[in-house]
Amino acid sequence: MNLSIKNLSKTYPNGVQALKDVNLEIPVGMFGLLGPNGAGKSSLMRTIATLQEADSGKITLGDLDVLTQKEEVRRILGYLPQEFGVYPKVSAEDLLDHIAVLKGITKSKERKMLVKALLQKTNLWQHRKKGLGGYSGGMKQRFGIAQALISDPKLIIVDEPTAGLDPAERNRFLNLLSELGENTVVILSTHIVDDVKELCTNMAIINQGEVLLTGNPIASIKSIEGKIWSKTIDKEELDQYKANHNVISERLISGKPEIHVYSDTKPEGFTAETADLEDVYFTKIKESTQTAEAAV
Amino acid sequence: MLEFIRFELNYRFSRPVTYIYFLIIFAMSFIATSTDIVRAGGSGGKVMENAPIVLSGIMLAIMIFGIFIASAVMGVPVLRDFEHKTDSMIFTTPTSKLSYLGGKFIGSFLTLLVITSGIVLGAMFGQAFAWPWLDNADRLMEFSFIRFWNPYVVFILPNLFVFSAIFFMGGSLGKRMVVVYAQGITLFMGYLVASSFLAQLDNQAMAAMLDPFGFGALEVTTQYWTVAEQNSTLIPFSGYILGNRLIWLAVGIFSLLLVYFKFNFQLAGNAGRKAKKNATKSVREIANDIIETPVVNQLFGLSAQLVQIRSLTWFYFKWIVKQGPFLFIAGAGVAFVFVIAFVGGTEGYDIEVYMTSSRAVSMIGIFNLFFIIITVFYTGEIVWKERDVKMNLIYDALPYANYVSLASKFLGMVLMSIFILSVLMFTGIAIQLIKGYPVIEWNIYFTNLFVDTLSVMVLYLVLGLFIQALVNHKFVGFGLMFVFYMSLIVINELGVEHGMFFFARASLGQYSEMNQFGHYVTPFSWFNLYWFGLAAIMYAVAILFTVRGMDSKFFIRMKLSKNRLNPQAVLTIVLALAVFAGSGVFIYYNTNVLNEYQNSDDRKEQQALFERTLKQYEFMSQPKIIDTYLEVDIYPKSRDFTASGYYILKNKTQDTIANIHIQESPNTDVTTKLDFASAYVIDTTYTDFRYTIFALEQPLYPGDSIKMNFDVAFTTEGFKEGGSNNDVVYNGTFFNNSGYFPSLGYNDGFEIGSDDDRKEQDLEVKERMMETDDPRGVANSLFGDDADKISFEVIISTAENQIAIAPGYLQKKWTEDDRTYYHYKMNTPMVNFYSIVSAEYEVMEDTWQPLVDSLPEVSLEIYYHKGHQYNLDRMMAGMKEALTYYSENFSPYQFTQLRIMEFPRYQSFAQSYANTVPFSEGIGFIQNIKTNNVDLPFYVTAHEVAHQWWGHQVTEAGVKGNAMLSETLSQYSALMVMKHKFKPEIIKEFLKFELNSYLMGRTFEQKKEQPLYQVEGQGYIHYRKGSLVMFALQDYISEDSVNAALKRFNQDFAFKEAPYPTSKDLITYYRAVTPDSLQYIITDMFETITLFENKTTEAEYEEISDNEYLVNLSVNTIKYQADSLGNEEEQILKDWIDIGVFTEGNDGKDSLIYLQKHKISQAENDFVLTVGAKPTKAGIDPINKLIDRNPKDNVKELSEKEAI
Repeated sequence: MNLSIKNLSKTYPNGVQALKDVNLEIPVGMFGLLGPNGAGKSSLMRTIATLQEADSGKITLGDLDVLTQKEEVRRILGYLPQEFGVYPKVSAEDLLDHIAVLKGITKSKERKMLVKALLQKTNLWQHRKKGLGGYSGGMKQRFGIAQALISDPKLIIVDEPTAGLDPAERNRFLNLLSELGENTVVILSTHIVDDVKELCTNMAIINQGEVLLTGNPIASIKSIEGKIWSKTIDKEELDQYKANHNVISERLISGKPEIHVYSDTKPEGFTAETADLEDVYFTKIKESTQTAEAAV
Repeated sequence: MLEFIRFELNYRFSRPVTYIYFLIIFAMSFIATSTDIVRAGGSGGKVMENAPIVLSGIMLAIMIFGIFIASAVMGVPVLRDFEHKTDSMIFTTPTSKLSYLGGKFIGSFLTLLVITSGIVLGAMFGQAFAWPWLDNADRLMEFSFIRFWNPYVVFILPNLFVFSAIFFMGGSLGKRMVVVYAQGITLFMGYLVASSFLAQLDNQAMAAMLDPFGFGALEVTTQYWTVAEQNSTLIPFSGYILGNRLIWLAVGIFSLLLVYFKFNFQLAGNAGRKAKKNATKSVREIANDIIETPVVNQLFGLSAQLVQIRSLTWFYFKWIVKQGPFLFIAGAGVAFVFVIAFVGGTEGYDIEVYMTSSRAVSMIGIFNLFFIIITVFYTGEIVWKERDVKMNLIYDALPYANYVSLASKFLGMVLMSIFILSVLMFTGIAIQLIKGYPVIEWNIYFTNLFVDTLSVMVLYLVLGLFIQALVNHKFVGFGLMFVFYMSLIVINELGVEHGMFFFARASLGQYSEMNQFGHYVTPFSWFNLYWFGLAAIMYAVAILFTVRGMDSKFFIRMKLSKNRLNPQAVLTIVLALAVFAGSGVFIYYNTNVLNEYQNSDDRKEQQALFERTLKQYEFMSQPKIIDTYLEVDIYPKSRDFTASGYYILKNKTQDTIANIHIQESPNTDVTTKLDFASAYVIDTTYTDFRYTIFALEQPLYPGDSIKMNFDVAFTTEGFKEGGSNNDVVYNGTFFNNSGYFPSLGYNDGFEIGSDDDRKEQDLEVKERMMETDDPRGVANSLFGDDADKISFEVIISTAENQIAIAPGYLQKKWTEDDRTYYHYKMNTPMVNFYSIVSAEYEVMEDTWQPLVDSLPEVSLEIYYHKGHQYNLDRMMAGMKEALTYYSENFSPYQFTQLRIMEFPRYQSFAQSYANTVPFSEGIGFIQNIKTNNVDLPFYVTAHEVAHQWWGHQVTEAGVKGNAMLSETLSQYSALMVMKHKFKPEIIKEFLKFELNSYLMGRTFEQKKEQPLYQVEGQGYIHYRKGSLVMFALQDYISEDSVNAALKRFNQDFAFKEAPYPTSKDLITYYRAVTPDSLQYIITDMFETITLFENKTTEAEYEEISDNEYLVNLSVNTIKYQADSLGNEEEQILKDWIDIGVFTEGNDGKDSLIYLQKHKISQAENDFVLTVGAKPTKAGIDPINKLIDRNPKDNVKELSEKEAI
């Protein structure tokens, strides 16, 4: 069952165009949706999750038309929103059971088993009686995935799940995601390149509402192999370099900026860098930003 | 600190809500002062609209609303730092606690002052100009600033400070807004409890102190203010008001100190508590039976939806009932119901009424206010619940049907309502049991609480959901609910009065144990059906428009709603629309087609037109009824009756009468057919007024008679809007001739009475009655100009299980076709005033033998509703003792029978007809009389029996002062019967209430206070002042003298026709038995409005020998005469006034050892008295025989004189 997005566009009432003619084919498996904050990832995710109307375009999940057959889509959907809260005084066990009812699992015996399994799976079993208000960020996210997994969904959408987690929690969470079924479409949106690198077989990079790239992460890296160059420079030189080279990213190493440059040929003074997904990402973002600026 | 103040002010004044609050307050004040929409403050009649007392009332009422704004403004300043988590930033800067808290408080308080200045500015703006929509130039005194600032300084400013301090404390120490709201509700309850205390004379001081708003103190201080004083006197900052203000200022200062000392100016406070709480719940066990995720079945059909609804409903219900605010409001409400039931459970004369289920339910009705608060608040909360905790996206993506969520929220709230109602029901039952009236009528609890109240709750709940779903903004939603309530008041004022325009209105009426819910059930059911139809539409629309997902813009929701419009939704809306429209049409058909509907403005207009058109006929010579014969068939089940019969009309004038003017019953349910026994033509018919002029072919010459036949049919068709006919009912029909049977000539009783309403209709202001000497007035009795005395005969038939009663003696009783017939005939002429009564009755019978043995035995009967037997013996004793006293002192009783018949409590009075006394269920029958109570059933019975003399034997002229001859004399007669039966304390208690009612009555006078001999239908004068004056009169000139005068008066006027006696006649009889030295009291009591201000300033005693004590008294006396508005003028003293000394009696109570009248001829007087027992208290007019506005300071505790 594929998720197919065709010509999807959305403009908010305040004039921001969140999605511009988005086309994506998302196969079964883990799909990474990469983009900076404000790129339109969440808008896309919410539209797929039946929570937002699109202005035009079409989304189909197998035979289902996501935009009109909302009820049917929700039945096979697991959704973890980017930011969510919980009832602070309700325990994980009770809330999960409550959500399970709303997912249509009306037999309490089944629910009990399911809740138990999910809480074990997400390592929350020993905290099941605790009010959710007392959960740490990571525990809360795990609870979030637990509720999304109720009733074996065919489409799982997780929106920026690792934002704000410490490295250990993040790893724990990514491990959990990696176990998700092979027959399932899992869309993971993130602005952290490593999330995608570590988990996804397919990905798309999105910025300012547009899809910049789709494909396999490894193939994408290959496409820019040999074109990434790096150099450590002084802070004062940064502007000059930016003016003269196609600087795609910069970061501080021991207080000094190290810049990556995308170029077919080696610029002077730069050393060759093994391209990674991050370079792909920054290259694409840079391109699209330049195009946008040029268009203005 | 200045920095904090500046920051707070900047913050406040950059927020629109500050201005909105100001505008709301300003608008309320402006509307209250510049329109008639709000009649707060008690202006009306001669009290001007800008009198200080009226402005105080308005401002305080707005202040009650302002308490919510005050809580919003003052609760948050510190709280805000916690919520925005800026506390850590501020507390780590080098600021002192004082400057932080002080700055926050002062800044917010200044803001609040600016906001609430709208109260004064709105009022001033409202009254400074002559607004074109107002015609009240004559209702305003000259504009003056002081009248606006006086209440502001005395009440509003201190209130603001106190409330601010309390809310500031709640917000800062409680750290939750809920605490502040709870404080607001508690303060509001303080006001409500205080006002229930106010009604009890002995608890007034407490009420004055308790009320945080100062309303109670204002009421107690001004309760006896005359109209003139109300207009001219500023609210004094002394006495009760000062005391109240000081107490509450102390509370305010204490609150601020508490904040300063208790506020923890460190960070940990909040977090620490939470951490501890949560640490406890980790479960130690590690699951060793790791299980695979099981395969589960997802179901989405109807049965699954029902499971979901059940689960969600329960979830929401549990959530609400665990909420602090909910528990607080519910708990406070229940406590309040208890307080009211136990403190405010007495009625007039401090008498307790049996706590029947219907009474307990009416006590519970006080909770409705809290219900509204809960409903409005929690519909907002529950609609926003998921979004408030940011779980909405998870929920919205779950695969439940659209309606499930809202349905569950709705049902959760309904469950909550049922829960509270059950708690209230048990509260009511507990009150009944504690009060010792364990007759639990489940039907009443069920119908009132779980049908009536629950319907209203559910309807408002749906309205709340609808508004919240549609506007999709919690606080705008709350605001709209408020605007909605207000708009109902406004449209009512604009003349829209039909119940179909007032959301959720459906009345079960007053519950009568005789008639139960009676005929109210049908309209109640239809109106509810109508509103529930509307509610179902609103509910369906709410589901279509409710936000699911991210899109909250209205146009997108419009689009979405089209997608959601599935066949079930369409069907629901269509069905609901059908119910709404269908029941609406049915109601309209009933109220406006089958019956006539008129709003009050139309009614007044018609009254004015009636007066303009027909007033010309007012004094046309007309014949009088001398004989009435009726056959009345009452059909209780269909609430109909027919009557056919005749009048014999006789020309008693010196004129020849060619035209007979007939006024048919104006009641639109009545149809009248008329016919004369001799030839006539119809001259003119005024169909709108049901007034017809018949021209006789052969005119009536003086002394001639003519027979007039008529058929009257009263038919109840369907049901009416609002005031339904309560006279002809299933069980307990009671009506009299004046409203239903044809009468002769123009009836000025149909004219508009109130000065204000007359001006509105461009009619001249009119006198309430004719002058005492007016020959046209003296020619007619108080029962009208249709007749002097009549012969009366009636045959009444009614349902077989009911007994029908009318004046006269039963001639025959028979049953025919399941109906029982009663034939009554009066053996002597009687006044033209008769009642027809029919109900299921139990009968208590007894007899009374007149003192003169030759006179026949009088049979006594009480017809009462089964179960209402509590006070029958008291009533029976009242009849006997009254008959004995009156026949001994005035004249023999003219009938051989006397009957009391209970009628439903739709009206609360007893009324005396010839040998017949209908007596309301609401008074007398269910009062729980204790030994130290005034025996009201006994007293009222004696009063009504007295009317057989004063009204029926001696019938007075219908002119000014008339009630002094009937009502005042009946008060006197009953009081004398009571005086001979009960202890003096009971009489004193009775007179205490009479004095209070008289003095209170003066303050509410709409036109002019009259001296007793000019009384014009003013109950506070002819009943209340009447009792006081007559008691004093018999004290001054002796009971025997008064009775001698009355006996002579009776002899001269009993059973006489015109000219009828007036108050001036009676006064000559009083004067005849009054010694010259006391003639002045007749003037003071009857002919002028005279008041005293007696006071004991010093009181000491010394023991001169065993059983001999010397009492030194200094007393102060002022005597006033008041004009009709209460302007007082001091009088020269030449009065005889009681001086009295009390000792402690054997029973521990005060007992008089000295009481004698002394001549008082100067303001300051000293007395030295010798008494034979140890004196405790002494003073002037110690048992309050004279009318005195401060009766309590007449007596003073004696202190022992220090030995020199």
